[in-house]
Amino acid sequence: MTTLHRGLLVALLALGGCGAAWSQNAPTGDAANGKRVYLAAGCFTCHGRAGQGGAYNYPAPPLAQTPLPVEAFKVFLRVGPNDMPAYAESVLSDKEAVDIHAFLRTLPGRRPAKEFPLLNQ
Amino acid sequence: MSKKSCDISVAGRRKFLTGVTLTGAAALAPAIPTGAQQSPSRESARVVPQPNLAAETQPPAADPVTQTSSGGDFMVEVFKTLDIDYLAMNCASSFRGLHEAVINYGKNVKPEILTCPHEEIAVSMAQGYAKIEGKPMAMICHGTVGLQHATMAMYNSWCDRVPVYVMIGNIVEADKRAPGAEWVHSAIDPAALVRDFVKWDDQPASLQHFAESAVRAYKIAVTPPMAPVLLSLDAELQENPIPDRERLRIPKLAKVVPPVGDPSAIAEAAKLLVSAPNPVIVVDRYARTPAGMARLVELAEALQCAVVDQAGRMNFPSRHPLNQTFRRGAVVGQADVILAIEMNDLWGALNSFSDRIVRSSRPIFKPGTKIITLGTRDLYMKANYQDFGRFSDVDLAIAGDGEASLPMLTEQVKRLTDAGRKSALEERGKKLAEAHRAAREQARSDATIGWDASPITTARMCAELYAQIKDEDWSLVGNAIRMVWPHRLWNFDKSYRWNGLSGGAGIGYNAPASAGAALANKRHGRISVAIQGDGDLMFVPGTLWTAAHHRIPILYVVHNNRAYHQEYMYLQAMADRHGRGITNAHIGTTLTDPNVDYATVAKGFGVWAEGPIADPKDLGPALKRAVAVVKRGQPALVDVVTDPR
Repeated sequence: MTTLHRGLLVALLALGGCGAAWSQNAPTGDAANGKRVYLAAGCFTCHGRAGQGGAYNYPAPPLAQTPLPVEAFKVFLRVGPNDMPAYAESVLSDKEAVDIHAFLRTLPGRRPAKEFPLLNQ
Repeated sequence: MSKKSCDISVAGRRKFLTGVTLTGAAALAPAIPTGAQQSPSRESARVVPQPNLAAETQPPAADPVTQTSSGGDFMVEVFKTLDIDYLAMNCASSFRGLHEAVINYGKNVKPEILTCPHEEIAVSMAQGYAKIEGKPMAMICHGTVGLQHATMAMYNSWCDRVPVYVMIGNIVEADKRAPGAEWVHSAIDPAALVRDFVKWDDQPASLQHFAESAVRAYKIAVTPPMAPVLLSLDAELQENPIPDRERLRIPKLAKVVPPVGDPSAIAEAAKLLVSAPNPVIVVDRYARTPAGMARLVELAEALQCAVVDQAGRMNFPSRHPLNQTFRRGAVVGQADVILAIEMNDLWGALNSFSDRIVRSSRPIFKPGTKIITLGTRDLYMKANYQDFGRFSDVDLAIAGDGEASLPMLTEQVKRLTDAGRKSALEERGKKLAEAHRAAREQARSDATIGWDASPITTARMCAELYAQIKDEDWSLVGNAIRMVWPHRLWNFDKSYRWNGLSGGAGIGYNAPASAGAALANKRHGRISVAIQGDGDLMFVPGTLWTAAHHRIPILYVVHNNRAYHQEYMYLQAMADRHGRGITNAHIGTTLTDPNVDYATVAKGFGVWAEGPIADPKDLGPALKRAVAVVKRGQPALVDVVTDPR
C-alpha cells in the first residue's frame, strides 16, 4: 500500500466514524441516474452489475449496500485505492458520484447463505 | 512385380531404394548416357562449374512408382516404443509420408491421429492432455506455416512446463523441393522460430539418427523441468524406402527419475520449518502425478502450517482446513519462514504491485522472513522470453523436483517434531482451520449478492454447475479467466479435479487444452467440464468440431461476458488516467453487435448445445441436460450470458 493509499484509508476511517453526523446533511442521490452512470461509466466492469464484486488486477469488493458514507465514497472515486482507476471530476461529477452511491444503496446486497441450497453443497 | 534394388543417378536419394518396385514405362526408361556426365576438362575447371543439365533434366535412370516400406514406417515403430497414444495434427504435405505410415502401417493406433483444424488446437490439446495423463501427446505440423500457427501454444506449454512432443515436416534438400508450396514451406533451420521456448530440438539426417533423437527428445521432455521438444522431419526421410531395416536400432527409453534436493539442504529446510512460529507453504506447478497432492497434505499436516495454492496444478484440497489460499495476504504477512515449491513467479506471489502512473511495489512479508525455494525451474532457463519473473531474494534455494523431494522433507520434519512441539503445532492448526472455515463462510455470503441477477453472476453460474457434477467423478479441465468461484465454492479433493492454467496467458488455450484433458479423462470415465471464456473460444472454435469428431466427452460452459473483459477494464483505466472520457472503453474490447450465438456455432460443429441463457432459473435444467449428453460420451456446450467477473 502506498503512502497515498494509507493516508486515504486513514481519512476514510475518520470519515466513517462521522457517518451519523454526515447522514443528516448528506446529499440525496438519484438512484435511477446512478444506475445509468454506474453502467455507462464502467463501474460494473469490476464490481458487477449487481454490485456483487469482481476482479481487476486484484479482487474488486462488493458495492451493493455499501456501508461507506457518500463523502467517503466520493473520496474513493477520486483517488482510487489499490489499482482502481481514479475518477476525476472531469469525467464523473460530484452529482453523478452521489447518484451512483444512491443506486448502490438500492441494490439487494447479501442474503443469508443458508437460504441457498446450492451454496451448501 | 519384382522387387529389386536399383541405382538412380539423381544425387541425394540417400540410397533409399532397397525395397523399391519398378513398374510400367519407368522400368523401361533408358539409363542416362555416360557421356552426358563427362569429366570436366582442365579448361572448364578454371571457370565456375556449370549445372549438370543432363542429370537435372533427363528422366532418372529408374523411376520407381511403388515401394514396400517407408521411413515413416520406422518412425511409427519408434513412436510405439515410446507409448505415444495420440498424434494431433492438421494434415500437411510436408509430413504426408509419416501421416500415411501412421494410418496404414501403424493401423492408426499408438499413435491415433487427432484431426485438428488449427495447429494451435493440436498443441494446446497436447498440453491439457499431458497434465492429466502424465505423459506427452505428439503433434505434427508444417515446418514453416504450421509451426507459425503452433507457436503461441508452444509458448504456453513452455511457460506451463508441460512436455509436448512437437514434430514438423521439412524438405531439407533444395533440389528435391517442387516449385511453389514446397519452397515456401521449407526452411534451413525451422526450429529457430521456437528455440527460445523448447527444451531441445533436432533435424535428423538419417533414420538411425531419428530413432536416437526421438528417444532423446522424449527423455528430455519428461525430465523435470519438463518442456516441449521439437523434431524436424525431412520429407524424404519419411517417404522414401528404408535402406536397410536390419541395421536400424531403436534405443531403449530409460526410466526417468526426477532430481531430488540435496539431503543436507532438505534437513536445513526442515529445521527452519519446524522451529518457525508461522511457516507458510506457497505452491504453484508442483503436483505432477496423483501422489503429489497426498505428499503435500502430509507435509502440511506434519507442520500444521498454512498452504497457499497458486493453482498451477491440483496441489492441495480446496477444503482442507490448512488451505489458506484466499487468505494469502494475511498468512504471508505473518510468515517467518516461507517454503515456495515449484513457483513460476515467486516475486509476484510475495509482493504487491501497483499498476498506476508511477508503478510501485512492496513485499507482503515481514522483513527477516526466511524464504526457501524447492523446485526444478532454475535447472533449465532461457534468456529471451521473460517468463521467469522478477528476481526474488531467497535464503535457501534447493534445486530438486518438489514432488520427488517432499517425502524426504516430511520425514525430516516429523523427526524434528517432539511431543511438545507437536502440541504447539496442533494449536496453530486449529487457528488456521477456524480461519479457513470463516473464509468459506465469507465466500458463500459473497456468492449470494446478485443471485437472481441477469446477466447471471459468475458465482451463481459456478454454483449451478457444481450442483450438476458434484455427485459425478468430475474434473474441471479449464477455467479461462482463472475465475475464483470454483476454488472458493467447490470441493477439489482428488488429483484430477483441476488441471491448471495456460502458463503463458496466451488466448486460445482453454478450449483445446480442455478437450485434450477431457480425452485423457475419458478412459477413466470422468466427467470433464470447462468454464470457457467467449473470447478464448473465438480464437479456436474449431476445437468443438474436433471434440465432436473424436467423441470427446466434455461440457463447455461458456462464460459469455461478450468482451475481452480484462482489456475492457484496462482501457477504462487508461481513459480515466487521461481524463478523456470513460464511456468509450467498449470500442475494440467487446464482442457485441452482433452478439455471438455460441450454441448455434457449436451445433454447426456437431456439438449438442443450448443457449444463450440469461435467466438464472433456466441454467440448472440446461446444465443437467448437458451433463446427460456428456455422460453418453459426447461433447456439449451451454452458452451462459454472464456478468463480467
